[in-house]
Amino acid sequence: MSVVFSRPRFRLEPYVEFAKVAMAKEATYRFDVFTNIASVLVRVYILRTVWVALYAHNAAPSELPLHAVITYSTIAMLMSLVMDIDQTRILRDSLHDGSIVLDFTKPMRVPLYFIANGTGEVLFHAVLMIPALALALFFVHIDVPSFGTLAVFLVSFLLGYSVGFCINFILNCTAFWTLEITAVQFIVTWITDLVGGELVPLVLFPAALQNVLVVLPFAAMFSTPLLIYVGHIPPAQYAGALGLQAFWLIALGAVSVVMWRLGARRLVSQGG
Amino acid sequence: MAIIETADLRKVFRSVKRRPGVGGAIAALFSREYEEKAAVDGITMSLEAGELVGYLGPNGAGKSTTIKMLTGILVPTSGSISVADLVPHRQRLENAQNIGVVFGQRSQLYWDLPLRESFALLRSIYDVPRERFRENLDHFIEILDLDEFMDTPVRQLSLGERMRGDFAAAMLHDPKIVYLDEPTIGLDVVAKEAIREFITQLNRERGTTIILTTHDLADIERLARRVILIDDGTIIFDGPISRLREEYGTHRTLVITLADSYEDVQVEGADLESREGNVVRLRFDRRRTSAEALIRRAMERYALSDIAIVEPDIDSIVRRIYREGYTEGAIGSPS
Ligand SMILES: Nc1ncnc2c1ncn2[C@@H]1O[C@H](COP(=O)(O)OP(=O)(O)OP(=O)(O)O)[C@@H](O)[C@H]1O
Ligand SMILES: [Mg+2]
Repeated sequence: MSVVFSRPRFRLEPYVEFAKVAMAKEATYRFDVFTNIASVLVRVYILRTVWVALYAHNAAPSELPLHAVITYSTIAMLMSLVMDIDQTRILRDSLHDGSIVLDFTKPMRVPLYFIANGTGEVLFHAVLMIPALALALFFVHIDVPSFGTLAVFLVSFLLGYSVGFCINFILNCTAFWTLEITAVQFIVTWITDLVGGELVPLVLFPAALQNVLVVLPFAAMFSTPLLIYVGHIPPAQYAGALGLQAFWLIALGAVSVVMWRLGARRLVSQGG
Repeated sequence: MAIIETADLRKVFRSVKRRPGVGGAIAALFSREYEEKAAVDGITMSLEAGELVGYLGPNGAGKSTTIKMLTGILVPTSGSISVADLVPHRQRLENAQNIGVVFGQRSQLYWDLPLRESFALLRSIYDVPRERFRENLDHFIEILDLDEFMDTPVRQLSLGERMRGDFAAAMLHDPKIVYLDEPTIGLDVVAKEAIREFITQLNRERGTTIILTTHDLADIERLARRVILIDDGTIIFDGPISRLREEYGTHRTLVITLADSYEDVQVEGADLESREGNVVRLRFDRRRTSAEALIRRAMERYALSDIAIVEPDIDSIVRRIYREGYTEGAIGSPS
């Protein structure tokens, strides 16, 4: 008796299963999750205090009144619940311990496996944003924009998240060549924090610097969705803002594909 | 028709030559010198469907490298491979569906998951029909005794338990071909026996073609009829294990226990192999000296309290080949 296998057709099912498993696994680190939410709330509280103090002693910038900047910071912290995850860490880990060799003996698209895993983790954290948001609404009294703005914000957030995902994937792909990538990753995280608009809105930077920073992919991750939320980017500029984000997503998506191909080619010629 | 075929298969690894120290590391930034090493150097072999072949060789001989090329995760430098009519590194996904892999040094189970969930994931990856999956799973649970720890996270399993889990994981999709790279490494005698029994059944009842590498020659003695011996990336022997025994198992050992103490022990027709106190081991070529004559000579010269003749085991045969190299017709040149 012989079983004849035809050319495998693509099935989504295993990747959905991987995502589910990753989600369930995240849920088992419950302690982590609660400390995570707690730390976000603490940071929100501290930032609020800082902004209040700063605004009390300086002339408020016309672009961003106090309540807007507090809203901005709070939403930024909530976004970081899913943005700050090292989603494709498992790629780096399996290159480190060599288990990627076994991944390649299975009839699956290996990068999709890593992506599904990261997406599962993130989805779990995305669910956590809901209680965190409720607490933020209750304690910090953030602004809630119109339904239309909220919808555009969500699209922009999704685009920004995807840009961040690509950057993370590209960084973890460098593990194909060097296993010492923590330093690089640290620097990129630091740059993102600084010039992505997560901690300080880019509109508060000097105009010359601003013009450079807003076109960088880091701004696409945080600044763009946040400025849409607080209304600093008006509806007339939505198309341009989202377009720039989409551009970065496509560009970095292409880089991701190239990095993966080069890395995988190196792996199959050099061995694990 | 052959199910696995390779012709003049080679794999050359190129690695950056490293000079020691900080200076060396800095120099390497500017000029790179490469070192080439042929891990597999012209291997031609052919396996029929349903064969179980032992793939042997000393450390670094190129066994794992060969297996990696057969599974499609390593691209050969030159030569050709065909596995069930596929070229593994070109048709990786299709080939993956046909094969099962167990690497003793690594696990394919998901570390945080219980076996049961790992198996369910594998079912979905290989698209095994649910009916067939349940049949296989029940069968493996029974013969590998997995029942007690099906719901324990893999991280908490002992090596032996994990290994049994790995075996089941590799076979759930009814692979036609199975590669086992040191599957009994680190296992106790009972666990080894269970694994060997499982391999035998797989080969006999399902007709699975199996390539097995191991450093435990008892595995080979028990499981394989044919062995392929490689050294430095080339095949030095390919044939039935019985031929290896005939050609290399020409030496027996006479073990005598002396009843008195003697300074030098020498018996004509045998070489002293070792001596520990009163126990003396003498090696002789069975085609030149008969055991009977040797014993007689020994008894004439010494007072003995015990005598035994030890046949060469496969271990000592292979040890000798690794040490001396294999030469066709070794029979004619006893050392
Ligand atoms: N990725 C690699 N890069 C460079 N050299 C390698 C690589 N993988 C293996 N080698 C070298 O190729 C040779 C064969 O290695 P291989 O792992 O195939 O040996 P093996 O027969 O499986 O040995 P063992 O019994 O120790 O497992 C060794 O000298 C090894 O150092
Ligand atoms: Mg090996």
